[in-house]
Amino acid sequence: MRISEVVDTTALEALNAWDDDDVAGVYISDMVSDIITGAQAGNVLVTLQTHKNLIAAANLVDVAMVVFVRDKRPADDVLELADKAGIPLFVSADDTWTYAVKLYELGMR
Amino acid sequence: MSTCDHRWSMTDIRSGYLVVEGCYHCGARSSFFSTEPVAPVDEYREGPHFWEYRGSYQAVSFNLVCEKCGQKVDLSDMAGLMLSTCTDPECRVGALAASQPPGTTIYVALCYDSSHASGHCVSQAGITALNEYFNQRLRSGRRRIVVVPCSMCNDLDRCRGIVLADTGLTEL
Repeated sequence: MRISEVVDTTALEALNAWDDDDVAGVYISDMVSDIITGAQAGNVLVTLQTHKNLIAAANLVDVAMVVFVRDKRPADDVLELADKAGIPLFVSADDTWTYAVKLYELGMR
Repeated sequence: MSTCDHRWSMTDIRSGYLVVEGCYHCGARSSFFSTEPVAPVDEYREGPHFWEYRGSYQAVSFNLVCEKCGQKVDLSDMAGLMLSTCTDPECRVGALAASQPPGTTIYVALCYDSSHASGHCVSQAGITALNEYFNQRLRSGRRRIVVVPCSMCNDLDRCRGIVLADTGLTEL
């Protein structure tokens, strides 16, 4: 599956510039310590966490994209760090559960 | 010397707290990893130091094991990782960052003795395995992770970076 398919199908708003890429699997977490041990490269990372250290963890794991749920929006310095690391950030108005169901219905496992 | 082309994975993953202490007598700082259900906040005397609690963060500790040959690398000397944003040309980490091609991110492996008074830092075997592990996971050759020991930092207390720890949650 591609990022563009996820964006179009689940009505995401892009927060920074992004290039289309493959995605594989989903990881849902709001804790940096959990992300670095649990998320896999290429995952869609779904989170409420908008702190800068989320980007530091997402970069280390090499997730394909980050989706902030419940319309959470990171500060400008977080966007700047994500741009530098080349991590596409998106926002969804859905809560975590509703958004997870959308990804499941899209065929993501 | 091993001839194995290691394929690392995490093992012995433990959740706990990174507890930071300071000595109110000499200003020294120390930290340790605790798996207690609640982060310890006790004050105590240890030799010339009077340690008091300065804060704690939810964190994980882990070791690395090679899936091919079974070699295990102990990382119990690593307190955490920090994405370096250092631009100080006088600092070896900052100078290293400035010399890297685009797509490279420097992470500093933090040991428990930020003053390095003990002469110890994260082991070289640990640093080598961390570099191999994180780069093996990357999907594109355009990106690269470089992990360095915190002994390369000029001054950890003034070092610029983003520590991978969960701040603000343990007070809930």
